[in-house]
Amino acid sequence: MWKTLGKAVAPILRESLILTPENVLQQQLRTTYILKRRNSPFLNKNGSLPKRLKAKHYIYDLVEDTNVNREPDMNVILTTYVAGLGDVGDKVAVRPNYAYNKLLMTGQAVYASPENVEKFKDYQSNIEEKTYSSATSQRAVDCLSRVTLSIIMNKETPWVLKPWHVKASFRKCGYWVPEETIVLPTNPITGPNLELENKEFFVTITVNNMEKVNVRCKIHHWTTEVVDRLPHEKDFWKKKLDPVFSEDAAILAELTPNKGLNADQ
Amino acid sequence: MASKALKHLRRFTKSTPLERGLGPMLPEGYKKFYNEWKYSEPAAVNYVPENQKWIRNEVTNEVLPVQDVPLPLKYPKEYDEQLWGGEAVVQGFQKRDMFLRRNPHFWVPPLQRSVVYSEVLNKHISVIVTRRAIQLINANYGFDHYLLKTPACDLKSLLPLGLKRKVLQELHKGCPSYADTPDKQQEIFSRYKTYLSAYTEEEIEWYGYSLKDAIKKYEDQIKAATKVTPLKTIYRAELIEKLKTAKIDEANSEGLEVAGSTWMQKMNPFGKKQET
Repeated sequence: MWKTLGKAVAPILRESLILTPENVLQQQLRTTYILKRRNSPFLNKNGSLPKRLKAKHYIYDLVEDTNVNREPDMNVILTTYVAGLGDVGDKVAVRPNYAYNKLLMTGQAVYASPENVEKFKDYQSNIEEKTYSSATSQRAVDCLSRVTLSIIMNKETPWVLKPWHVKASFRKCGYWVPEETIVLPTNPITGPNLELENKEFFVTITVNNMEKVNVRCKIHHWTTEVVDRLPHEKDFWKKKLDPVFSEDAAILAELTPNKGLNADQ
Repeated sequence: MASKALKHLRRFTKSTPLERGLGPMLPEGYKKFYNEWKYSEPAAVNYVPENQKWIRNEVTNEVLPVQDVPLPLKYPKEYDEQLWGGEAVVQGFQKRDMFLRRNPHFWVPPLQRSVVYSEVLNKHISVIVTRRAIQLINANYGFDHYLLKTPACDLKSLLPLGLKRKVLQELHKGCPSYADTPDKQQEIFSRYKTYLSAYTEEEIEWYGYSLKDAIKKYEDQIKAATKVTPLKTIYRAELIEKLKTAKIDEANSEGLEVAGSTWMQKMNPFGKKQET
């Protein structure tokens, strides 16, 4: 191909370097069946007609099937925030199919060509206010907004709900939430109070000092006395509950409903 | 020289499509494209070309001459509607065992439907592609760069060649698809304008047509340029002129002019009134 390229576009080659293939194709591109003759064809004489190929010259061996080779990762520059990947101007290395189908064709990214690299070089440093704190922050927010947190409290000893209770309950669910990021409802929640069993409220979590997310919570009373324990409630997150504080009803209704929550329940 | 001439004496050189029929009449722009398309050497995709003239046998140290004889390739009918990135079908034999007869085999590249985006045309196009085609697009940083950088002999199929013509025409007009956003229009044009210098306006107009389509386009152009007036109209005008010079009153009368405009005339598709 490059042999004939010179002939086809000779006039520009002298003017500009844009048509030179070296800066574009760093590696050889062979993504197909590469075949080889088992029997080499007859030698042709100079200036005479080429000799006819015989059936044996059509016996091919497969040298390489490049369709089964793993392609290297591809560099793209994001033009929008992509959750779990990066913010605008970030150069990310992703799998080629994902990059082409999900990022480039949807316009969420551009090729990491020298021109684009230059264009997005100082993009992040020039932004005055960031919309997202990190690549995965939005994913964390989405994750937390789907949770219904069961806060396990004592059934016998009196208590007032504190952030460390919430932190411990989060830890039981597999979320590491620092205490200072938890904001409880302004009115204190005290117990033991068995009426709270069928009611819900929300706490506000701040991710990376930036994104705020409300998490649906429910108090569950527990005791060491086996006979006094409340019966096990199956799939408690699927039940629709009343708010502890009636002024929170609107915010609780807006929260992402749980998976499997039926409207009629 | 004489011996060489003698050697070639009995050889019949077959005329090329550009040398017979309407071929020689086609514009130079098309001839240039046709030579780039058909008579340039495409890149070796399905085989490893022999670059050296001689090869040494590693065991015996014997030096043997080698010649590069490309594998014969096949291009199915669908090839012209798809984007194969230089790949082709190879028909041959597999010999799977020493004691087995050779088996016929077709090596066909795996095809998939995908989307390509042309920045100049500002369009997403759904096409059937090979993995190689997508890789070439990625390696060239975009479909437009791939089309404009690749010579016709490697694009080969009529679909990318036609798209290349459209892209070149769009660039030649200064990207009218971005007319709403002048900044963007300027950016796109300056990104691709380098490619325009390789083509004249005529070459752009005639780029990427098959020979059949080019001949049809040429014939249509000739047809449109030569307007044929039916002889009856000419003779009628001449007769009226003669009558006028002979000072015959009926020549100036209304009846002669509107003779044909009856309702029957309107029904008759061939009775369209000609300007006299």
